[in-house]
Amino acid sequence: MRLFRTVFSAAVFGVESKMVCVEADVGAGLPSFSMVGYLSAQVKEAQERVRTALKNAGFRMEPKRVTVNLSPADLKKSGTGFDLPIAIAIAAAYGAIPQERLDGILIAGELSLNGEVQAIPGILPIVAGAAQNGCKICMVPKANEQEGAVLEGIRVIGTENLKEAIDYLQGNREIAPACAQTDPPAPLFAAEDFADISGQEAAKRALEVAVCGFHNLLMTGPPGAGKSMLAKRIPGILPPMTIEEAMEVSRIYSVSGLLREKQPLLCSRPFRSPHHTATAKAMAGGGMVPKPGEVSLAHNGVLFLDELPEFSRDALEILRQPMEDGEVFLSRAGVTYRFPADFMLVAAMNPCPCGYYPDLSRCTCTPPMVRRYLQKISSPLLERIDITVEVEAVRYPALEKTEGAERSARIRERVLRCRAIQQERYQNTPYRFNSNLDRAGLETYCALERQEKEYMGLAFEKLGLSARTYYRILKVARTIADMDGGGRIRTPHLQEALCYRSIHKKYWQNRQENAR
Amino acid sequence: MTDKNKEAEWFWLCSAPGLYEKDRKRLLREFETPWEIHRLAAAGTEISSVKGKKREQLLRWAQEPAEENYHKCLEGGINFISCQHADYPEQLLQISDPPSGLFFRGTLPRKGERCVAVIGARMCTYNGRNNAADLAAALAQNGVAVVSGMAYGIDARAQEACIEAGGRSFGVLGCGADVCYPKENRTLYEQLIQNGGVLSEYEPGALPLAAHFPQRNRIISGLSETVVVVEAKKKSGTLITADLALEQGRDVYAFPGRAQDVLSSGCNRLIQQGAGIITDLDEFLELIGCRAQQTRKEKNYHMGLASSENLLYSCLDSELKSLQSLANETKLPVKELIRMLTDLQIRGLAAEIGKNYYVRTR
Repeated sequence: MRLFRTVFSAAVFGVESKMVCVEADVGAGLPSFSMVGYLSAQVKEAQERVRTALKNAGFRMEPKRVTVNLSPADLKKSGTGFDLPIAIAIAAAYGAIPQERLDGILIAGELSLNGEVQAIPGILPIVAGAAQNGCKICMVPKANEQEGAVLEGIRVIGTENLKEAIDYLQGNREIAPACAQTDPPAPLFAAEDFADISGQEAAKRALEVAVCGFHNLLMTGPPGAGKSMLAKRIPGILPPMTIEEAMEVSRIYSVSGLLREKQPLLCSRPFRSPHHTATAKAMAGGGMVPKPGEVSLAHNGVLFLDELPEFSRDALEILRQPMEDGEVFLSRAGVTYRFPADFMLVAAMNPCPCGYYPDLSRCTCTPPMVRRYLQKISSPLLERIDITVEVEAVRYPALEKTEGAERSARIRERVLRCRAIQQERYQNTPYRFNSNLDRAGLETYCALERQEKEYMGLAFEKLGLSARTYYRILKVARTIADMDGGGRIRTPHLQEALCYRSIHKKYWQNRQENAR
Repeated sequence: MTDKNKEAEWFWLCSAPGLYEKDRKRLLREFETPWEIHRLAAAGTEISSVKGKKREQLLRWAQEPAEENYHKCLEGGINFISCQHADYPEQLLQISDPPSGLFFRGTLPRKGERCVAVIGARMCTYNGRNNAADLAAALAQNGVAVVSGMAYGIDARAQEACIEAGGRSFGVLGCGADVCYPKENRTLYEQLIQNGGVLSEYEPGALPLAAHFPQRNRIISGLSETVVVVEAKKKSGTLITADLALEQGRDVYAFPGRAQDVLSSGCNRLIQQGAGIITDLDEFLELIGCRAQQTRKEKNYHMGLASSENLLYSCLDSELKSLQSLANETKLPVKELIRMLTDLQIRGLAAEIGKNYYVRTR
């Protein structure tokens, strides 16, 4: 008698999943247990876990020749999620479960030796993949059921142990499908509100402009000026995430195993603040089987880099490509993993090593010291930062009065209006925000009238702008004009944008040049 | 012995590695001429004025082909002049320890050419830089050369402004004349060679060691009839130069500053000790026997400014003010304030120094 059974499961690649068929065959011959199908060490170890778990679940494995294949065979499978489907496939192949009970069901989960089913990372992409491939039911570890239930159009069943799973598949037991506890997305940013920060109007205004046009932002200022405090409040004025965005973000966190059982769907925009000792791999993602890095964890949110010059050059250089493309590609033997990484970069730095330049009575740095400090940031990175603003240390009287500062919610309303204008304008174009505009886009959407052109000509000469800065100023001016209702760019908009212009290399490198 | 040979011998002495001016002076006191020293050193005779490692180095140096080195140096574009040469700057001979020889690129101050030293801090304020530039330009227009140290800040700005105004300027270096230090001032270094010169008492290739600079300062003041200190802290290389200038009997002038300004504390101290005070550029020019510039009309620059712009303009100061502190002072909405500030900059009434720090320029 030969018995053959197939169970569906999935392997996670990046934030996507690929369907995997787990085939088990039990036949006559010398008793053995072999597994094939381009397996990583983690999957190969499943053999021992499965055998023991089956035994402890009360299932007796007759001494037969057991062969397990995971197809497609050219796909490298890793992770521990295959334990449960392998166990079920074997049990089925021994005749415990008929094939028709297995069709349309995707199974994933890790087994412990006593037959309990353990949580695994990446449930969200697995369930999403199952739904896409026409599965009706998804059997996942109990601990992950909330996470999977977030998706609609598929029944997610949480199982606690192997015995229960086999009983269910045999039709001897019913398990109620998990229903998502979609609590209304709590306003998580209530804790961090711009109303907490009094004063700093200039910095707040710059932040608002940056958020409106999705421009990358650099804050300079002495230590303790409140740069991090300001940055932490940015997610609160970003528009709320759409369900698609929330799903994207949750997938990334699911793959990283960072989703909490209580809150399976992330509703607030991520705010990532890696320490400046972070390596390039920590930033972009890495590992033999790549896991998302900080740029991906900040997807649809804010990546805050405090003490920008202290970051290693490699870690900063690696930001360039995701900043350009909104995603990261990591190549490993045979497979390229794609992680989304569309984030708003917010960086903060001191103007010099001691932090007090240009206050020369307090600054103790020499020109070479300052130069070395600033040279750590490469100009290609600076060129991707549209807005630079100084955050001044708050004086005591300003700390006192807290009333009058605007609430985040009010700012967010304005941001939403401005975003809506952009959305309408960039319909059917490759752009999404003003910050995405390229040369051609600038010519179409940021055309200046004669008067404004003349003004910019004057500014070009008087302020010593470069061509690159010029285009960045136009983008920012576009955003400021949109904040004013979306009309054409006028002189006041340009004036404000000029004030936020990034300090280009020369400006910092040779400070005597600048002060002429 | 021809003059040429004599110069070569002086070159041999001045470029001897490890020897400082005081060693050379001691050697010359003992043996009178460089060629005598060279002859004795070449023969390995006992030389008591220098000892130890320096002596060994000198004996080894005596074996080198002096004449050939000298010509190689000249062909390399670095000139040499000894203190015995007729073209050696007269002013410098008046000081107590003139360098035995000078290495230079470009030219040296000509006979009777007037020189004024303009010196100051490396980390300097916007105002200090402007004062230095105005003074240097005025001197240039009067045919007075500006001598300085080619350092960041005041020194470099004064020399640049002098050359821009068509004058001649001399940079005295604390390293070899062929070494550009600081390297960021490369452009200025090249300009100096074209319009004046760079000079040094150190042999070509000498590194900018910290110990060289106080020594080099005596040459800055020595070359000049007057030394002007634009901005200096109380303890600084600039004040060393000013002290040396006083010892050498040069006139010292300083730009005054407010009592609490760290960068003016050195200048104020000098004035307290009796240095001349520069409150008016024309007055100073007359004092040193130059033609005053055409009196510049004090225009009312704030004419034609809207009332809120006027408010902002009057809040701006020669001291740096940050965007936020201007917002606090003027109570204007930030949006307006930012726009007006940019406009003032474009009209040339204000300048941005650090990121979002502003000063008034007129």
